[in-house]
Amino acid sequence: MAIIERPLAIGPGDSAETVKRPLGSLTRPQQTGSWKDWLSTVDHKKIGIMYGVTAMFFFVIGGAEALLIRIQLATPNGTLLSPEVYNQVFTMHGVTMIFLVIMPLAAAFANYLLPLQIGARDVAFPRMNALSFWIFLFGGVFLNTSWLLGGGADGGWFNYAPNSSVTFSPTHGIDFYALGLQITGLASLVSAINLIVTVLNMRPKGMSLFRMPVFTWMNLVVQFLLLFAVPVISIALFQLTFDRLFGANFFNTEAGADPLLWQHLFWIFGHPEVYILILPSFGIISEVIPTFSRKPIFGYRAMVFSGIAIGFMGWGVWAHHMFVSGIGPISVIAFSISTMFIAVPTGVKILNWLATIWGGKLRFTTAMLFAVGVVSMFTIGGLSGVTHSIAPADTQQTDTYYIVAHFHYVIFGGALLGIFSGFYFWWPKMFGYMLNERVGKWNFWLQIVGFNVTFGPMHILGLQGMSRRIDTYDAGFGFEFWNLIASIGAFIIAAGIAIFFWNISYSRKQWKKAGMPNPGPDPWDARSLEWMTASPCPEHNFDEEITVEGPDEFWHRKYGEDEHGNIVRIATAEEVAHDGSNTNVHLPSPSYFPIILALGLPIVAYGLIYSLWLCIPGAALIVYGIVGWIFEHPDDPNAAHGHDDHHDDGDDHAELDAGDEQAELEPAEEPEEGELVGAGAPMLNDESVTEGTEA
Amino acid sequence: MTDDRSRDLPSVQTLGQASQARLTMSKTAERNRMLSTSPARFLKRGAGLVALAVVLAACASDAELNTRADLAGPEAIQIENFTTWILIVTYVVFALVMGATFWAWHKYRIKTDDYEDDEFPAQIDHNTTAEILFNGIPIAILVVVGFFTFLLHWELNGENDVNPITVDVAGQAIDWEPEIVVVGQQWWWEYQYHFGDVELTAQRVENLPNADITTATQMVIPVGQEIELEVTSRDVIHSHWIPALNGKRDAVPGRQSAPWKIQADEPGVFFGQCTEFCGLSHSRMRMQVIALEMPEFQAWVSAQMQGVALDAETQAYVDQLVAGDTPAPENSSQRAVATFRGKCASCHLLEGVADDLWSAERVAEQLVSGAAPNLTHFASRTTFAGGIVNVYDPDTGDFNENDLRAWLRNPADIKANFTEPVSADDPRLRGMPNLNLTTEEVDDLVGLLEAAGERPSDFIIQETGVE
Repeated sequence: MAIIERPLAIGPGDSAETVKRPLGSLTRPQQTGSWKDWLSTVDHKKIGIMYGVTAMFFFVIGGAEALLIRIQLATPNGTLLSPEVYNQVFTMHGVTMIFLVIMPLAAAFANYLLPLQIGARDVAFPRMNALSFWIFLFGGVFLNTSWLLGGGADGGWFNYAPNSSVTFSPTHGIDFYALGLQITGLASLVSAINLIVTVLNMRPKGMSLFRMPVFTWMNLVVQFLLLFAVPVISIALFQLTFDRLFGANFFNTEAGADPLLWQHLFWIFGHPEVYILILPSFGIISEVIPTFSRKPIFGYRAMVFSGIAIGFMGWGVWAHHMFVSGIGPISVIAFSISTMFIAVPTGVKILNWLATIWGGKLRFTTAMLFAVGVVSMFTIGGLSGVTHSIAPADTQQTDTYYIVAHFHYVIFGGALLGIFSGFYFWWPKMFGYMLNERVGKWNFWLQIVGFNVTFGPMHILGLQGMSRRIDTYDAGFGFEFWNLIASIGAFIIAAGIAIFFWNISYSRKQWKKAGMPNPGPDPWDARSLEWMTASPCPEHNFDEEITVEGPDEFWHRKYGEDEHGNIVRIATAEEVAHDGSNTNVHLPSPSYFPIILALGLPIVAYGLIYSLWLCIPGAALIVYGIVGWIFEHPDDPNAAHGHDDHHDDGDDHAELDAGDEQAELEPAEEPEEGELVGAGAPMLNDESVTEGTEA
Repeated sequence: MTDDRSRDLPSVQTLGQASQARLTMSKTAERNRMLSTSPARFLKRGAGLVALAVVLAACASDAELNTRADLAGPEAIQIENFTTWILIVTYVVFALVMGATFWAWHKYRIKTDDYEDDEFPAQIDHNTTAEILFNGIPIAILVVVGFFTFLLHWELNGENDVNPITVDVAGQAIDWEPEIVVVGQQWWWEYQYHFGDVELTAQRVENLPNADITTATQMVIPVGQEIELEVTSRDVIHSHWIPALNGKRDAVPGRQSAPWKIQADEPGVFFGQCTEFCGLSHSRMRMQVIALEMPEFQAWVSAQMQGVALDAETQAYVDQLVAGDTPAPENSSQRAVATFRGKCASCHLLEGVADDLWSAERVAEQLVSGAAPNLTHFASRTTFAGGIVNVYDPDTGDFNENDLRAWLRNPADIKANFTEPVSADDPRLRGMPNLNLTTEEVDDLVGLLEAAGERPSDFIIQETGVE
């Protein structure tokens, strides 16, 4: 970070040409304020917003797929979708919602907020951050183009072998699935490494690990889970791709393969994946609930350690997806018990949130409503989860709608409601205007009522014996009534979501009409560092480096104790917060190479499916992206620095320099030589740069 | 008919939601009374609908696949009893959590307008006792739950106490330890009965695919006997599930599952459905278990050991065909056996009509799964087409000619199927193609199939109807 905020010492004789034109082909992009900035940006906040926008776009697609499913199942013997199409729709609904909606929405918040919450200028590897977004975007688009090229994947998101082989799924849908998830998995890996390094190395002075907000902690755990889980699914997907495209026999039972291999690989990834989906949301509401309860989070360390415990235990429970696969009674009971006990750390979290609310002064803003919604709905999902962990009961429940109900209570009721809480909470920080609260409450109530009307009855349907993944059901099994109710509920959810989208533009217009008053740095009287800078957050985040003295640093700068131990305000948020006026910050320079490199990946993937010749231009693009990246100077000395750059104005930096020297004294923050440059990094020369390790 | 418990569940669940909605509603309603279009108002009206839903749920018809009502197997009943206890525990925990949430909401909420900058609650950020309890209580609950789970799991998966029963098979008294091989394939179930050392005619030994008795979509078992199931698959993974008798067990190709057992304590028809997603017609892959008293089961076994009973003229005609002659058929049944031998026999077995044309190897060349239903006792079954069409009308008891005709005309109309070969290199089929049979051929075959096997009892036929 230090290098980012410190103007580089550029001598007049430096060759700007090599810097500006790597490979002599691309001019170094400049941020000009046009839309093109978004293509080359390396700003973690813009990237976070792009993640969010893209994910919400896919959310609309996945939601439309959900509505098609619910229309089909509203009545017995539905005929809206043929079995072929239905199988594709439910597969793509799951794949889209998990990989293209919830994960990237969590990534959106993590990207935007992690550097801010730890008081950093940007992520450790800004160009890699852009790379991971573009890979995700192109991977998601690639996956969805299957709809236009002969149909989506039809094997379910879990895609069990051997039903995923060419024999049983002859269209290219599953090829798109395998390669598309391979690509988006790469995005997750790149992003995981980036955020782990950011959190571990970019913290300013005083921001020890146990002073980090719970949101940051939960995301750190998630990034580690991604780092270890994604390679497992990558291997499985490679095997599947080789089976389908090149005649390998990893999952070919006719050649003696054991189809349970796929299940083990998939669920060793797939169960940690569940925690990858839910932990960011736990983090979000761990920020929202204390803020609107006017209390610190109860049991901060228990919250952190339970998150870590979930992260570890998440690896030891995968076979509970396979209780009926015939893996043998000993394995079943072992995983049954281990699964049961993962309820302990999650239970601790629920109880700690309740204890935080308890005795507080609760403001039920929309963000708070969504957060409390998570606590209640996730409790239902968690408890039904315990009923599955009981292996004998699971033999009746598994692969019925009871499971569908369970994981929607976890993923919709837990992860998605938490993300909506985050939208309402951080919207002013991100966009400089508040979402309308009254409309927001309509949004919340429609969503939570619709959600329960949709997924509540599925518990009943499952116990009545309705199988999952069936495209129709006959009248006479008692499924008609609750399916109709569930379908009605789905449209109530859709109305709630539509109101959210409408709220975005409506609130914006209202704020404009009222002369666009800035919500100020801290509209909610919040606690963590992201509120200690202007709204919307300026490009350089903080005007100067922050020295942290404890958890909830920002709150403690606003409030102190008087002689009686009563809490009194000692400063307003405006006094404490940075106003974003520092023009003297050198930011990482934008680059086209992340988008170029990322664009090569889907081209190679199309090539693998349709014609290997197409791989050549795709691979050429990737190589060009890598080489250009290497030769591109990571920091453009000629680029504008922040608002108004003063390279030679040494006096302005006196304070920052002092801060850096202090930071250097802190051994914990000492970066390794020239690598992983952290907050306390010493003066850097041209060669040793932020992104030095990437190349 | 409906067990009380089946009513319990919907009402408890829905009541939970309703009361939750009502609670939140009353709070918000209070606050937003001035707003005519507040969400709370709508919720208040919505609560009436929820109440209506509860009433209607109680009236919902009983479900043949219900996991919690009308159970007939000791395993299913044990699971259900345990589930009931677990659900009570979860309801209590849920009630406590929601109670605490709404209590806090009620007691500690302040209106945003009344929010005073200098009013603070006690800044309690930890409490060691509470935190120990937060860990200890869930652990204590789960230790108890885990202990009983372990016991039940062991009981359900422990040593099978399958008692041998004496069955008369082809005139020989066989001590049979009831074991049935269950084979899934897209999209129907095959059940194989192996009786051990039964001396069969040379013809049967040569042609029978694997077993002494092979049926499709219908498993017949004796009442009160523990039956061991060996579940496997010929193509993709399926899952065999008869909710009224026991939980499910996956059918994994290339693997013989750990033994699974079922038992029916009363005679009847028990419905099942494939529960592992297995491709196109997964939703249309069903089965029925028919539990018979021992004498009836014995009669069923004896009947299954016979080929199709043909009249003398047709039998003579078949003999001529087998010998290689091709005399012109004179009547419907002669036309039917000729059609069957010409168009059906390469995949389907019909003992006594086309044994000579059928071989497992030949079927494997034609079909991905390598098996088509054995039609020898078609008329003794309750369903066909993967368990989705009744062979007999449950109300009238009539042979269901119309649906069978429709099926023979074009199976894909009745049940989604891949009717094309796998690929240019792989000519195998995955389901029954449209054979372009003429109306006359269809009629002839319907007659032949109606005569294939003994009609089940009226009780069984009535029970096969849903509702």
